Amino acid sequence: MRDYGVERDLAVYNLLLDVFPKEVFLPRNVFQKIFIHYPRQQECGLAVLEQMESHGVMPNKETEFLLLQIFGRKSYPMLKFVRMKLWFTRFKNVNPFPVPRDLPTDPVDLATLGLRRIEPDLSAKVTIYQMASSRDSTGTADPTEQHIVGIQSPGQQAALARHSPARPVFVEGPFSLWLRDKCVYYHILRADLEPPEEREVEEIPEEWNLYYPMQLDLKYGRSAWDDYEFDIDEVEEGPVFAICMAGAHDQATLAKWIQGLQETNPALAQIPVIFRLTASTGELLASSSGLEEPCPPPAQEEEEEEDKTQRQQQGQS
Amino acid sequence: MALVHKLLNGTYILSKCLKPSVASCPFLSTRFADYCSSSLQKPVATPGKASAQRNSAGGLQGDHQREVALDVTSPEEKPEVSFDKAIRDEIKEHFWRLKDEIVNHWIGPEGRPLQEVIMEQARVVWQFRGKEDLDKWIVTSDKTIGGRSEVFLKMGKNNQSALLYGTLSSAAPQDGENSQSGYCAMISRVPRGAFDRKKSYDWSQFNTLYLRVRGDGRPWMVNIREDTDFIQKSNQMYSYFMFTRGGPYWQEVKVTAQIPFSKFFFSNQGRIRDAQFQLLLDKISSIGFTLADKVDGPFFLEIDFIGVFADPAHTEEFAYENSPVLNPRLFK
Repeated sequence: MRDYGVERDLAVYNLLLDVFPKEVFLPRNVFQKIFIHYPRQQECGLAVLEQMESHGVMPNKETEFLLLQIFGRKSYPMLKFVRMKLWFTRFKNVNPFPVPRDLPTDPVDLATLGLRRIEPDLSAKVTIYQMASSRDSTGTADPTEQHIVGIQSPGQQAALARHSPARPVFVEGPFSLWLRDKCVYYHILRADLEPPEEREVEEIPEEWNLYYPMQLDLKYGRSAWDDYEFDIDEVEEGPVFAICMAGAHDQATLAKWIQGLQETNPALAQIPVIFRLTASTGELLASSSGLEEPCPPPAQEEEEEEDKTQRQQQGQS
Repeated sequence: MALVHKLLNGTYILSKCLKPSVASCPFLSTRFADYCSSSLQKPVATPGKASAQRNSAGGLQGDHQREVALDVTSPEEKPEVSFDKAIRDEIKEHFWRLKDEIVNHWIGPEGRPLQEVIMEQARVVWQFRGKEDLDKWIVTSDKTIGGRSEVFLKMGKNNQSALLYGTLSSAAPQDGENSQSGYCAMISRVPRGAFDRKKSYDWSQFNTLYLRVRGDGRPWMVNIREDTDFIQKSNQMYSYFMFTRGGPYWQEVKVTAQIPFSKFFFSNQGRIRDAQFQLLLDKISSIGFTLADKVDGPFFLEIDFIGVFADPAHTEEFAYENSPVLNPRLFK
């Protein structure tokens, strides 16, 4: 049914069930009721229902009526129908991060959906730096421009503004994100964790807010039975400044993203950006083999090229 | 020793990377090396097959254990081959464990003072900070039934998490038996005591499972199996879904999945049963993560740690009630 694209259409399943002759397979006496009456036909009905289940189609009253007419109330397809009704309703809203059933086909819309899903901060802004176009762009070898969509929240903007230019930021990726059955790839701009010496604690002066104290140092008497912390060191990772999804994973496209980011984050112009692009298995490169990209205007000196490890991952569905 | 072990446990198959020296890996009979790869990938366990032996002791073991050709090359040193020494090491190891157990019994449950065990509200059960933590897990995929998914487990960056990655392929194996395929699973090993007795976890004071993971948006399933010696119960497990969000965040917005134990539904042999009962937490044998979402392609899941804690706000005992339509016998 997948060939015709109707695997999630309930009406089609009902029509399929309609093919069965009605009232022929109903058990008539007690002996027929004990043994599975017309077992192969019941298995066939079960197979139709199983396919419905595996595609997540919820059966309706018409299905129930058809199954009653065909197989009877105590048959296996009817039992499976009751189970489907029960468990599907139980698990309908069990996903805390739901993905809509009909995904947008436009890559920019898909990228926006994905980015909104990744970034939990609702005040983050999605910026489309470049729309995909198949027109011939001036000067580049490949004729299609890939779309670049980025997201950054105000907190991240502030953190990037505070970031010292002495330490580089890394563009890492591509990481895969699955939206139901579509895989999109995203890159992140992040910095390494600062060593503890350099971490400065921002002191909020007391006069900043006169209505209530910004810092409270109360020690309520919580003893051991109120301790809900896990006895493990948390994995510390550097801050993430922005995320983007682009059509191509090469450095030129990502450089365009960085350029676009510089408009809202002028501090980014001073900070060296290193590209760490890998064939993603989801892990970040530990070694720093990347190409140091000279950021456009001012003050970036060109360093020697290190070998770029960049392998595209195939199988983007 | 190996024969006795086989009699005790039937075919309990584990696979592990071959370690070059015998002394560092004394568990001869419990470790079956299928093959070893230079990057520390976890080889896929093949259940239901007879044991494969380490090449050193293979030829000296009993003849009802099949030898498997190993392509192990350790260019630096030849492994010290001594069957008797290995046996002696293993016996010593087991007696050491037995002594630990007896001593721990005096200190308190599981070797920790009673006060600490009673008062604790959150316990880290599995963490991934080193290679030995990875050894507590077995990774399987549908290669065992002839499918084509691949899955590997390795330490994540900075040795601070475990990364389970691979490719899922739902192409059904053409063997006439299976019509659907495509799953990958990571299952924890059953904890063993002295002389490889089965131990179980006791989580009766906790009520929520806490996982700190970072995934790629795919829905996973968490399965918990109970410790039982009944054969009829050996295929039963309690499962629930774990939905990952995707994205790079781990630190700021933890993609934690807090699953209360009341939400686990009961299934036998992979089918949800009609008669549901809540998961009893006093004898848990293993936990597992499965991915079988019928979507082909690569996946990854990074796990920081797995813990259990007692959520005081969660008062539900069991989330699913039995329906009289499906289970008239329960409602007589």
